Amino acid sequence: MTASLLQAPRLHRTVLANGLTVLVLENPVADIVSARLFIRAGSTFEAPHQAGLVSFLMGLLTKGTDTLSSMAIAEAVESVGASLGTDAAADYSVISLKTVSADFAEIFALAATVLRQPNFPPDEIDLERKLTLQQIRSMQEQPFTVAFNQLRRDMYGEHPYALPGIGTEATISAITQQDLVTFHRQHMRPDNVVVTIVGRIAPEAALAHVEKSLGDWMASATPLPSLNLPPVTAAPTCSVVTQDTNQAIVMVGYPAASVKHPAYPALKLINTYLGNGLSSRLFVELREKRGLAYDVSAFYPTRLGPSQFVAYIGTAPENAATALDGLRFEVERLQTTVLTDEELQSAKNKLLGQYALGKQTNAQIAQILGWYEILGLGVEYDQQFQDMVAAVTVLDAEAVAQEFFHSPYISLLGPEEFVAPVAAAQS
Amino acid sequence: MNSVDFPASVIRLENGLTLIHQEIAATPVVVADVWVRAGAIAEPAEWAGMAHFLEHMIFKGTDQLPPGVFDYAIETQGGMTNAATSHDYAHFYITIAADMLPQTLPYLADLLLHAAIPVDEFGRERQVVLEEILQAQDDPDWLGYQAMSELVYQDHPYGRPVLGTADILQQRSPEEMRCFHQAHYQPDQMTVVITGGIPLEPTVELVKHAFRGFAPPPPCPPAAIARVPLLPGVRREVLHLPRLEQSRLTMAWIGPGIGQLETAYGLDLLAAILAEGRSSRLVRELREDRQLVQDIGAGFSLQRECSLFTIQAWLEGDAVDRVEAIVCDRLSELAAKPISEAELARAQRLLCNDYAFSTEAPGQLAGLYGYYGTIADAERCLSYVPTLQSYTGDRLRSLANQYLTPLRYVSTILHPA
Repeated sequence: MTASLLQAPRLHRTVLANGLTVLVLENPVADIVSARLFIRAGSTFEAPHQAGLVSFLMGLLTKGTDTLSSMAIAEAVESVGASLGTDAAADYSVISLKTVSADFAEIFALAATVLRQPNFPPDEIDLERKLTLQQIRSMQEQPFTVAFNQLRRDMYGEHPYALPGIGTEATISAITQQDLVTFHRQHMRPDNVVVTIVGRIAPEAALAHVEKSLGDWMASATPLPSLNLPPVTAAPTCSVVTQDTNQAIVMVGYPAASVKHPAYPALKLINTYLGNGLSSRLFVELREKRGLAYDVSAFYPTRLGPSQFVAYIGTAPENAATALDGLRFEVERLQTTVLTDEELQSAKNKLLGQYALGKQTNAQIAQILGWYEILGLGVEYDQQFQDMVAAVTVLDAEAVAQEFFHSPYISLLGPEEFVAPVAAAQS
Repeated sequence: MNSVDFPASVIRLENGLTLIHQEIAATPVVVADVWVRAGAIAEPAEWAGMAHFLEHMIFKGTDQLPPGVFDYAIETQGGMTNAATSHDYAHFYITIAADMLPQTLPYLADLLLHAAIPVDEFGRERQVVLEEILQAQDDPDWLGYQAMSELVYQDHPYGRPVLGTADILQQRSPEEMRCFHQAHYQPDQMTVVITGGIPLEPTVELVKHAFRGFAPPPPCPPAAIARVPLLPGVRREVLHLPRLEQSRLTMAWIGPGIGQLETAYGLDLLAAILAEGRSSRLVRELREDRQLVQDIGAGFSLQRECSLFTIQAWLEGDAVDRVEAIVCDRLSELAAKPISEAELARAQRLLCNDYAFSTEAPGQLAGLYGYYGTIADAERCLSYVPTLQSYTGDRLRSLANQYLTPLRYVSTILHPA
């Protein structure tokens, strides 16, 4: 089950004359083709006063081109029952599409057009701005999101990872058409794009579609923009949002390694051990044995820049202090307690097994292929990651815990009478 | 009703258990998904929440299998397991490497047939369910959905929250839960779906062997019986919720259950015509053109006793009345004016492709078969695509006239407190 799909002989990797990278994997099982057009520009490329620009821009790609109106694009996609969407992440942005195989050529050509020739109509900018501002306000409705936004802000300071990809009310209010045009011109160019196509399609045919739609796209002679990010310095804090919620949210965040750091595979394993599934340490200790929560888990996002290791719990407000102690104890225990060989092996089986289960649909495969390519890891990383995970030892895990699991940033949310004393006890 | 050849095998075992199997060549994964006709609808009213709480307790082991051993066994072999409960069903599934199924399926069967429901675990897990309820109560959309359900279904069990209430759960005992479990987790109430990289013959043997030795059903308080109510007119409820940043308007209509599948599928088409995608009628008019809503969508959900058709909008509070009136107006129009060929074709293609897209992985397929197997017959899902394709605009129009009337519906409105 852990076999690498990506090293199968069926995978075709081509770089066009204009620098655009194409990955094609033929998978004839279902009459479905999924494709992704990745752009090597995420929210890390936004200036602080333009936070949310990439997400805003990606949303507008399907809202008008030099020849098509927003509604014409929607009709073209929906009339054949296809899907065409866009997304912006911290380290990249992406256009996704899915069709039955007969409709692929038409919808792929449309995706290529929206990537190359968006025209950002003023009325569509106004509508998108209105919808985005409301979406930013609506984030306040979800306690988990509020607590996490606070944690992220505390941990990252001036670094763009500090903000949710959607931006802030102030920055979204200020975005102009010229900002969009400029960012598009700088970043959306063939040598900054990776296209992945997976499904019932012959590799030659897929490549021909890409050549036809994107082959004549010329990269500008100017060099690609480079990233110049402020450093992230660790100075752990404890922050509180008081709200009269039924549950308190308790979150701890430890500054952690980027995907290119040698500690990455060991941290992924520790994340699995602590936070993944019904047999994970946090689930068993805090939920199953102590009944403190329904939702208790950990996550460690894969990032090109400095990442974060987060553990969280939703618990009755009167249990907030106990839950915080429990979370910290379980994470920081790994500095001094070496995992048993059996625990480590179980975590490896779990991580690698679920990794394989994450490559079941054409869309999942298209995503992971292009993601590794756009992050600069290469498609080989699919196998390398699995090999590195398999090679982690219990002493590696302990060393990584000692390196990263010092005092955490803490984010608390809940009724004042319960969370304020917990915060006060931290200072 | 039109149909095509069903690609799965449906086998009724001697003890009454239904097995559905489909081999998917070239996949190294197998999904085992066990569906039990023991959702919230099987509960007496004073036991509300029992079915869901039991779903949690199933994982707490048997006389042979201490708590946590099953989860550990599945996950350390690289698999995944979980469960879910709704009104019509509870289901439990594992996704695992095909060659591991023979070692793991007997564990799952043991849990389902012989759950011990230990007293100390019962007390602890009740705390977990109470936390789940607290978390749900912090979610405005959950609160809005419950309010709408109560208004639509009145005393029918579909109107009760699957989670139950803290008060009721505090009064329940492990003995009562064992009674509910043994009465309902019986072979004639159970469908085992196996999809993925395993042939039929070993699957039948495996399932026969694992799913045997059911305890005889004890007497158990019967489920509350209530008819699905008819909506007498327009029922409207306005709630003010703290921490809300935007109002919501949910309008709901009751449609036919599995007794009239063809009609139900027609309502699915109407939902797509009205509000699926930017070029659908309501999204185009209310969001893109007139900009009265942040978003609007239509939902159709098929249940055993009746289906539910909803239109939901996220919007500013002062636009609620106007949007509700416009929606009513558009529904009258839908029933009165011909639906164009292009619009019908668009909805048909959207839904037919959605169906294809949602049966790509073994787990999706198992879920589909198990769901239909539990509320109707598994084969019935095969009529979905041909039925959609056979619809004409005129037939849809008369369905809209019959079911989506602006004279009888429920409307739930959430405003910031």
